[in-house]
Amino acid sequence: MTEIAMPLVLVLLAVAFAWGLQRLGPEAGATWPHRAPFLGGGVPQTHAWQRWHARYYPMTLLFIAFEMEMMFMYPWAVVYIETGTKALAEMGMFLGILSVGILYGWREGVFRWQ
Amino acid sequence: MSLLASLARGAEIPVFAAIGAGGLAPVETLRRRPGLRLVDTPRHARVLLVAGEVDAAHATALERLHAQLARPRATVWWRAPRLFDRGEIADGDDPTGAIRRAAETDEPDQRPDLPPHPWEGIGPHGQGGMGMMGGTPYGRPMAMTAEDIRDGLALDAYRARFGPFLPMLPPGLALDLTLQGDVIVAAGVAAPPYPQGAESDAPGPCAARMLRLMGIGPRAARARGALAALPRGSGMRRRLAAWVDGARVDETPRPLPDALPGRDWTGAALWLASFAPSRLRAACLKPEAA
Repeated sequence: MTEIAMPLVLVLLAVAFAWGLQRLGPEAGATWPHRAPFLGGGVPQTHAWQRWHARYYPMTLLFIAFEMEMMFMYPWAVVYIETGTKALAEMGMFLGILSVGILYGWREGVFRWQ
Repeated sequence: MSLLASLARGAEIPVFAAIGAGGLAPVETLRRRPGLRLVDTPRHARVLLVAGEVDAAHATALERLHAQLARPRATVWWRAPRLFDRGEIADGDDPTGAIRRAAETDEPDQRPDLPPHPWEGIGPHGQGGMGMMGGTPYGRPMAMTAEDIRDGLALDAYRARFGPFLPMLPPGLALDLTLQGDVIVAAGVAAPPYPQGAESDAPGPCAARMLRLMGIGPRAARARGALAALPRGSGMRRRLAAWVDGARVDETPRPLPDALPGRDWTGAALWLASFAPSRLRAACLKPEAA
């Protein structure tokens, strides 16, 4: 029972704490003009909800592709001798799938040095 | 008076300076005055100091700044006619007394407590329009991707008016900028910088403003790294070097709508600061005369 109750109580405490901070914090009861972003007296003309490009994302994709290869290749190398051709075919399929990701990264220009 | 209150009275007063015509050089003298601390945003300020005459067209902008100071807040009009009926007036060379008096008071909001853009709850989810990305929630259109001029990664274009009292821009300059990430893709001048006295064009204050924007202390100004921190080929290095050596810079910038696109935000702020205030004003006024 305690195993379930303890996390529940902790979550409730955390929620109450966050809610209390929000009610008592410096922004509590702030007026509309006070909450506006500071642009030196100017106002934004578009909504603040906008999408940003995570510019490191193609590099991350490439890293994941090569890292997954290595993760699978270590145990594969251990059993390769006893499993034989079947292991070779499996690794070929796996690398085939991963290389699609690498080709996609290539198309996105991840190999271009800028 | 309790100990706490007397301690609070002796503390530095954070002041946000909204600089008007001829206010640049006087505000510079406040940086050395004990008991005051000039801050970069109204959020950190106790007192809004309006230094120099502010164009009546910017009264609403000033009221917005006033509303962005956290309560308790106060206003001091230093060598400036009042644009709204609050705060103290200071006329002499030293507004410290008026700022101290103002810091004892609290002013209510100048702007009405209404959303700047009313909620337009239409559409399937009340988001103000049709579809997931369409519509105008809170009366402002969603940012949408546009052609990118830097490297082809399209980002949402953000349009806003910056200024006229943004500390990193010359006082009075209001820019309508379209930004993608931190890159300016389109710029328009909504209001030119205020006229400043001839003393603001002197090499010392100009170099000090630019170095402060770069976050470099005055002692490090002569180090080679200070100049190397500026982008190459924009003339900024040459102009800052001239100022540091005590020479005047009389170059006039290109019209801002042509010169700003393609620069990133910090580069643009530094580029604007690398011209003498009178020259920048001339460049902003010229298109109207032509």
